[in-house]
Parts: sequence; C-alpha cells; structure tokens
Amino acid sequence: MEKLSDHYTQRISLKSLGLLGIFSVAVMLVPLVFRDPYYLELLFLCHYYVILACSWDLLSGFTGNVNFGHAFFVGGAGFAGALMNLHLGWAPWLTLPIGGAVAALCGLLVGSFTLKLKGPYFAAVTFCFATLLYKWIMIRYDIFGGEEGLSGLDWLAETTTGNYYISGVIMILVVVFLYILSKSPFGLILRSIGENETASEGSGINTTFYKVTAFMISAGIAGVAGAMYGHAQMHVGPEMAHDSLSALIIIMVVVGGMGSIIGPIIGAYLLTLVNESLRFMGEFRLLIYSSAVVVVILFAPKGILDIVQRGWRRLAGQER
Amino acid sequence: MEPLLEIQGLSKAFGGLQALWDFHLTVNKGEIVGIIGPNGAGKTTLFNLITGFLRPDSGEVRFRGERISHLKPHQIVNRGISRTFQLVDLFQEMTVLENIMVPCYSHRARIQRKKGEKPWEIALGLLKEMDLLHRTEELAKNLAFGELRMLDIARAMATEPDLLLLDEPFSGLDTEDAEILSAIIRRMHEQGQTMIIIEHRLRDLMRLVERVVAIVFGRKVAEGTPEEILNNEEVVKAYLGEEGEE
Ligand SMILES: Nc1ncnc2c1ncn2[C@@H]1O[C@H](COP(=O)(O)OP(=O)(O)OP(=O)(O)O)[C@@H](O)[C@H]1O
Ligand SMILES: [Mg+2]
Repeated sequence: MEKLSDHYTQRISLKSLGLLGIFSVAVMLVPLVFRDPYYLELLFLCHYYVILACSWDLLSGFTGNVNFGHAFFVGGAGFAGALMNLHLGWAPWLTLPIGGAVAALCGLLVGSFTLKLKGPYFAAVTFCFATLLYKWIMIRYDIFGGEEGLSGLDWLAETTTGNYYISGVIMILVVVFLYILSKSPFGLILRSIGENETASEGSGINTTFYKVTAFMISAGIAGVAGAMYGHAQMHVGPEMAHDSLSALIIIMVVVGGMGSIIGPIIGAYLLTLVNESLRFMGEFRLLIYSSAVVVVILFAPKGILDIVQRGWRRLAGQER
Repeated sequence: MEPLLEIQGLSKAFGGLQALWDFHLTVNKGEIVGIIGPNGAGKTTLFNLITGFLRPDSGEVRFRGERISHLKPHQIVNRGISRTFQLVDLFQEMTVLENIMVPCYSHRARIQRKKGEKPWEIALGLLKEMDLLHRTEELAKNLAFGELRMLDIARAMATEPDLLLLDEPFSGLDTEDAEILSAIIRRMHEQGQTMIIIEHRLRDLMRLVERVVAIVFGRKVAEGTPEEILNNEEVVKAYLGEEGEE
C-alpha cells in the first residue's frame, strides 16, 4: 500500500520539478550572460507570454472550455492598473495585485453565468467581452486614450535588467504555482472534467464550481501580467485587448501542448523567439511563421511537449 | 422495512415521445430491484430522472423522505445515490487509479473518510475488490471492456452510496466476466448495499434479484418476483417474445 501511495504522490514528478528548478536558475542567470537590452527586452516578452499561455491552459487546456478572450483580462487589468497609476498615483506593487484582483473578479462574474452552460456559450461570451472592451477603449478615448492608449505610467523597474528580473520572478512563481496546482486534486478534477464532464458530475463533483474557480485563477494571473506589461512599457494600448492577442495565446498553448502547464512554456518561448528571429524576412515573416505553426499542429497535434516526452522515453528505452 | 427511495407519478416526454409515464416504485433498504424492458422502453430515462441528469415533467423522487427531483447530479451523488453508465465511458486518458480518485474527492467521500485515511487507500481498496489492482497504473483507454465495466462500478462505489444504480452491467460481458460480476453484486448485497439493476440479459438478472419491474413503452406493466414476471402475460408478449427472436 505504502509503495503505491508514494507512486501517486510522485505524480508531482521530481523530474519535472527538477527541470523547473533548472529553468528558474537559468532565467536568473541569463542577464549575466546577455547584457544587451535588446535580448533582455525580447526575453521580457517571453516571460509575459509564458504567464499568459500557462494561465490560459489552466482552464481551457485542462477542461476543454476554450476561452477565446484572454485579452479581455490582460487589457482590462492593464488599463485598470494604468488608470490607478495615472489618476491615483498608485505604484506598481499595488496596481499589479489590484489589476489581478479586478481581472479575477471579472472572471468570476463571466464564468458563473457561462460555465454552467454546456456548448459553445463560454467561448462565444469570452470572445464578445474582449471585443467589447477593445471597442470601448476606442470609443472612450477621453478615458482610455483610444488608439494611442495611455502613456506616462510609472516604470516597473528603472532598467531593462530590472524589468527582466521582476517579470522573470513573477513568471517562475506563476509557473510553479500552476504546475503544483495542476498535479493536486484540483488539477485532477479539472482533467476529469475535460475528459468526461458527465462522469465527473456523476462522481459527485460540482464541476461548475471547479471550472469557475479555475477561470478566476486564470483570469487573475492574466490580469497581473497585463498590469505588469503596462508598467514595463510605461504605456498601455488597445492592442492589449485585441483578438489577435487572445489568438496568439491559444496558438502558443496548442503548439506547446495543452493541459500540461509545461507545454505552454515551450510554446510561448518558441513562438516569441521564432517570430523575432524572422524579422529580417520582412513581409514574408507572417507567412513563414503561420506555416510553421500549421506544420507543428499537423505533425504534433498534442504539441511539442508530447514529441519531446516521447523522444525522451525512446532514448531511455521505455518505449513499448 | 424502511423505504429508501420512493418514486411517485414520474413522467418524462421528449417532444412527442412519452419516454416514461406515471411511474411508481418504492425501494427498501438492502433490496435489489431489477428493471427489465425492451429497447427504448425508458429504463435509462428512469435512471437519468432519479440521478438529476434529466428533470421530470411531473411526479417526484424522494430519497430518505427528501425530494431530490430538483437537485443537480453532483448533489444527488453527495446525498447517497450513485450510478453507472450504460455506455461506459470513463476518463479515458487517465489511469485506473486516477479514475477512482475523482469520486474520492467528492464532498460525500471526503466527509465519510475516517481521519487519517488517505483517498488513494480507499481507491486501492475498491480496485482490489473489483480485481483491478494489477491495472492501477494503466490508462483507462487500454482496458478490456469487462475491466472498464468493473472500473465504472468501482467509480460509483467510491462515494459509498446508499443506493447504487447499475445500467445494464452485464451487457457486452462474456460468461466468465458475467460470473465475476454476479459474485461481486451478491457480495455487495450481503453487505447490505441497496441496488437497482437495469438488465437486458434476463438470465443473469433473475438469479440476483428478489423483485423485478417490467417497463414497456414508458409504462410499468408488471412488478413481482422473477417467477411472476417470467410468467406474466404482458411481459412475455412485449419482451420475452422479442428476446426469443434474438
Ligand atoms: N435525451 C433524450 N432526448 C430525446 N429522446 C431521448 C433522450 N433520451 C432517451 N430518449 C428516447 O426515449 C426513449 C427511451 O430511451 P431510454 O434510453 O430510456 O431507453 P432504454 O429503456 O434505456 O433502452 P435501451 O435498452 O436501449 O437502453 C427512446 O425512444 C429514446 O430514443
Ligand atoms: Mg438504456
């Protein structure tokens, strides 16, 4: 009995935790090697997208309820943080958590009305909310600055290196938190909902409660990221609430591997770096980038993480 | 005897189709009641109505005297009614153990657990009872059909239900697996488990139950001991005739 129970608890696999540890140390060491602000800014973007992709994964990757409007929380909290900063003078250490809380509250409200319905309602409503926010930002330029957005926010940190470290620490905290959560009973239940919601309900699980809670956490983390991004750029713009951001987040998770937390990290880094490295291709960039995404999705429908794991198992001779 | 479940005047229509009509049934503690009926008679609909997956058009279901017809499926499970599904379809990409862990985290399983008892200990105990211990780490999708059935029953038992509803547990099983399942059902019965079993395969069912209800076109046409039902004219006409042709 003891042996098997250990086996169960080890599902928070030491290998994964070890890899996360190595990853964290690597993130912390990078600025010692790459001092060029260009790289640090690029890697700041990676941190931002990792946070967004992993938070999206918690609800959508695990339960299959696709959130088509993650940008709603990013933009919403970004602008909320900016307004608090500009009008009330609140510093980033306040606007980040408050932005996250506002986003989590929005997630709770939107989720409680839509996640108890089966069918595409949730996807449709999340999409609509993001679009509404985007339009609202454009219309009320007196408040949100319209296309220009809002500028003059307090910096997150004085230097690019500072931005890198703050975003890096937030990313690591988020990733470790989400990974452990995904391996907890809470994560097991989310997976069961994604697999077969009827059987999950039939097992005495209040599936709506778990979905709404996951959505709230997901939204809250996206909100922190949105406020963080605003302060790092000292600017928030309507593109933070745009559909293309929501779509990019989904693509990153799909390419990396849904429902794993680890996969989205790979997807976010890879797509951010590939996108940047194709800059010299000029107008062909989007074409090549999109084709690459399609190829990955065709040949690795479960994402790159799955390919890596299978390759690893084959190397270790475990493949049956 | 103490009535555990009382169903009164339960009716349900899908569009123009009357799937269940004015259905009455009382199940006492410790009993096994069998439900038979031809395809499309409304048997699964009855289970869906009892377990909250469907809302009745009229009539009510009382469990330990409490009206439960308006409750959600998970609330009904947590009050002590569990079911298996006719088309077993569990958490395919999860291991056998993980499949059983899910109900172990339900509200009911949490409060019934003794202090210090770990959820996986309960889960492993159930797998042992169902003879699935050697498959603990296997993904559900790799199980044989009979094993899936056992897993579904173990899943339903994990919430320690007062009433267990089995929807055609024997269908698709070979004789050997059917024997094993019969033995398991008998053992649960000896331990006082109350059950309602829907079954198409009469032979397996009749040996297990004390009381049988026959449903034809959504109506209860007969209720009695297995012998009474087997000799009931209406049942023979509606059901056994069809069975004979199979
Ligand atoms: N959700 C639903 N929507 C519409 N019609 C339904 C629904 N569920 C069941 N029915 C119909 O109601 C009737 C009774 O179905 P039910 O599944 O209860 O039969 P059954 O007795 O379980 O049959 P079987 O032995 O084939 O399992 C059938 O004609 C079926 O097509
Ligand atoms: Mg049926």
